Amino acid sequence: MAFAEPKEAFPGQVVPVTIGSEIQETFGGENTLPFHKFEGSVPNRPLIAYEIQDVPPEDWPETVRKVYEGVSDDPVKWARYCEDELKARSIALRLVGTHPDSKNLSADDAATVVKGVLDAVKVPIIIMGSNHVEKDAEVLPRVAEVAKGRNCIIGKAQEKNYKTIAAAAMANDHKLIAMSELDINLSKQLNILLTQMGFSREKIITDPMCSALGYGLEYTYSVMERIRLAALAQNDEVMQPPMLGDVGMYVWKIKETQAPEDVLPEWGSLEERGILWEAMTATSLMLAGAELLIMRHPRAVEYTERFIDELM
Amino acid sequence: MALTGVEIFKLLPKTNCKKCGFPTCLAFAMKLAQRQASLDACPDVSEEAKKILGEASAPPIRPITFGTGDKAVKMGEETVLFRHEKKFVNPNAFVLEIKDTEDDATVDSKLNDVLTSEINRVGQLLRIDGICITNESGDAGKLQSLAERIAQKAPEVAVMVNTENPDAADAALKPFSGKNPILYGITEANAEKMVEIAKANKAIAGIKAQGLEAAAALTEKVKGLGLEDIVIDSGARTASEILEHNTYIRRAALKKNFKPLGYPVINFVQRDEPMYEALVAGLGVCKYASIVVMSSAEKWKNLALFTLRQNIYTDPQVPMQVEQKIYKIGEPTPDSPLLITTNFSLTYFIVSGEVENSKVPAYLAVMDCEGLSVLTAWAAGKFTGSKIANFIKESGIENEIKHRELIIPGYVAILSGAIEEKLEGWKVTVGPREANALPAFLRQKVA
Amino acid sequence: MLIIGEKLSIIAKRVREAMMSRDKGPIQEIARKQYEAGAGMIDANIGPAEDGGEELMEWMVTTIQEAVPLPVCLDTTNYAAIEAGLKVHNNDHGIAMINSTSNDPERFPMLELAAKYNCLIIGLTVGKGGLPADEEERAAIAAEIMARAMEYGVPLENLYLDPLVLQIATTQDQAIKVIRAVEMFQQLNDPPMKTVVGLSNISNGCPKHIRPILNKYYFLMLERVGLTAAIADPVEMKEAMEEKELFEKVLQGQEIDDKEKMRVMKKTIDVIMGNTLYAHSYLEM
Repeated sequence: MAFAEPKEAFPGQVVPVTIGSEIQETFGGENTLPFHKFEGSVPNRPLIAYEIQDVPPEDWPETVRKVYEGVSDDPVKWARYCEDELKARSIALRLVGTHPDSKNLSADDAATVVKGVLDAVKVPIIIMGSNHVEKDAEVLPRVAEVAKGRNCIIGKAQEKNYKTIAAAAMANDHKLIAMSELDINLSKQLNILLTQMGFSREKIITDPMCSALGYGLEYTYSVMERIRLAALAQNDEVMQPPMLGDVGMYVWKIKETQAPEDVLPEWGSLEERGILWEAMTATSLMLAGAELLIMRHPRAVEYTERFIDELM
Repeated sequence: MALTGVEIFKLLPKTNCKKCGFPTCLAFAMKLAQRQASLDACPDVSEEAKKILGEASAPPIRPITFGTGDKAVKMGEETVLFRHEKKFVNPNAFVLEIKDTEDDATVDSKLNDVLTSEINRVGQLLRIDGICITNESGDAGKLQSLAERIAQKAPEVAVMVNTENPDAADAALKPFSGKNPILYGITEANAEKMVEIAKANKAIAGIKAQGLEAAAALTEKVKGLGLEDIVIDSGARTASEILEHNTYIRRAALKKNFKPLGYPVINFVQRDEPMYEALVAGLGVCKYASIVVMSSAEKWKNLALFTLRQNIYTDPQVPMQVEQKIYKIGEPTPDSPLLITTNFSLTYFIVSGEVENSKVPAYLAVMDCEGLSVLTAWAAGKFTGSKIANFIKESGIENEIKHRELIIPGYVAILSGAIEEKLEGWKVTVGPREANALPAFLRQKVA
Repeated sequence: MLIIGEKLSIIAKRVREAMMSRDKGPIQEIARKQYEAGAGMIDANIGPAEDGGEELMEWMVTTIQEAVPLPVCLDTTNYAAIEAGLKVHNNDHGIAMINSTSNDPERFPMLELAAKYNCLIIGLTVGKGGLPADEEERAAIAAEIMARAMEYGVPLENLYLDPLVLQIATTQDQAIKVIRAVEMFQQLNDPPMKTVVGLSNISNGCPKHIRPILNKYYFLMLERVGLTAAIADPVEMKEAMEEKELFEKVLQGQEIDDKEKMRVMKKTIDVIMGNTLYAHSYLEM
């Protein structure tokens, strides 16, 4: 029997998204499954953004908190450190301090932080709220305005607050993260609602909700694979935006990244375990289709980039 | 291509004799179609039917068992390319490479890593499944003494012998004869001799080819020489080759029914750095490898890889379940609220996440309902007043908290009366229907 | 086609209140409406009914059969309640049906009742824990239920195989697999096995205005492959049967005069067949 490579071509294509102004980055754009260069075109590598936040990262575990000691008390310093020292290709600023249960910082406070960070660095910026539905709807429109002209990603818009946030992103020419909770049909629904209000599908990044290795990763993995197959094989236009894996936030709160080795010797080094946990969550989700990743530990980012190199 | 149960049924004797262990021929046919039974169990099937069924019922990827005993690894038999379609069947084996050029101390330390690798994660015992002994020296005697050392010190571990030299193969395989070892290193050039040695030691043939076409030709050759238990190394070493080859092999076997590639796949992922090696090994786990050969087995690395394998091989149809117990979220005090939900893992992840978001320390009672979500569990009679009452009583939570208030999911508001009746002295409060309303609900509760 | 009226379910608030207060009025009114729309049997879903289930089921069966000359489908996981209902069931109005047995050992005793009272019984093709992945797994479970029914002395013509309709909003791929299962079940015996579905679950979780659309067209797709019975809203099913010819044309790729209806039918067919991904707004795309 003669062997013929069983190549598959797809009618659909993932939308390429370009962010940033002075320095730009593009992700998405492939017409094939993740990294299937052997049967399709994969024009852009996934983009990893370093996560920083508006308030000091008190709830980050030691392994990753210590990396940013001396800079994480100030988002501007922190952003510069990522750009200058870590050679970040992109930075994701999370405004956790605006959450009513955190410092309950106002929209104006947030705008000041955002302005400071934007003035300090040139790489493309992702600006996220605190994931509080009502507060995000207050904060994100204000910061979208401040960031006008910088072609940022704003997020996250959810079913309950997408209208105000999408309107602000549209008015100020930003891209938008559309998040739904591990449900492919609700994810499609949200993208439909966004396009129905006139938001271009070419400016959406789909966030099907991340989960960490060992904590529901298989759900995110399969929802991503299904979204990608809908985009490529069914040529479903609303499913064609690239996808986000918001990895760091989910990884650095679980037991495996926090339990010390002396308590659980069978789990080995805490430091290595935590970093690998973040990198492996990221690489697995990339294999399922994520093109934009938000991560925390520089070594996890470094290994993930190396993995991308080997696949590109 | 595979036959349906009904098509198989038409070829069976239809006597309902029960000799196969199933009540009817039809039930047996359905099990055959599911590959949960073997045709050999039917004593009366005609030769003609046997032939048709034998061809049609052979799984597109050949089932092979590596090693023996409790720790043997089953491979092959996969039926899909994407895990949401149907469960990935046989989790891959992780194999640690030991070279015959390594000194005794290194060998023993690696052996120790393998022997102490077992951990229990969500009820499954996971471990490094095998050892690959590599004839790095080129010397048959060295490989043999390494083989003997390993056979003596780790008699239960599955072994793969890696050499292209028939003399070394012969010497090193002997200690593992009858233990389903793999003889890896069979090439176009040495196939005749190596297959003879593999057969003599009841070993699985591990073919080593450069490219898929060569791999297909080589499996045909080995099969022609009388050995059908084969594992394939297509020569892929970089991540991008591994992805390409593994995808093509799986597709060719499943979608084209291309028999020469219908075998389990070995990936060699050795890298200088253990952490980076873990990521490439992870690619093998996600993308169709049956054996992943690594150069190190640190505990932290094993934990991540075992967890990934467990996630990827979870049955998407069987809702993953979390253990029944009372979970503490934050640092609850005797006054903290007590909530209850079912043990469907997604329900648990979402509910516990929202309770966490509320920043209100709380107790979350997770009840075993066979992994069903709240409403389904209720309808199926698994999440009922008396069962909830029993669970709460037996959990011992009454000794931990001062109050007697239980918050139930809004979807089963109907149960509040029944629970109060059976759980004397308790008050039942109906919580929100959706978990995302929990933070507001809980904050108001403790305010 | 046997339509089993689904409206008397404890999940509906009005019904639940009537059940709790033993108010015959609403129960009989709903039963009558379903009878008039063409129901051939009335489902009485009293939930798990751990407490007082026997008395409640007795009351339901008598109340329904006072109002309409139909048999009742006894719908609960409570074994004793089923038996209580069967004892008072008036068989002059037809044979009662038990809803349901399955491949879960907890449900096997239902077959005993079906044999003892010589009534009909639904065999839900699910096992313990986990849902069947596809039509083959459903058929494999069906074969086991059939074998068990024979052991218990339930004639196969009294067994209605139920492939378990799942929500299209969360498990879209199962919609087509259920249709294939209905086809396959029939081949499990000669004469063909009878089949039944809990139809409306297909649209559970969907916006109100599209529920009847999905229910009707899904029903027509099942009807054309030989479904024997459906637990459904008889009013919707009556409407569905009126649209049957048009629907068949659209399914065959022919044009019909009502372009809007054609669009709705086509989009719904695509979603049911899995050609496009379901979203609540699928009709608007």
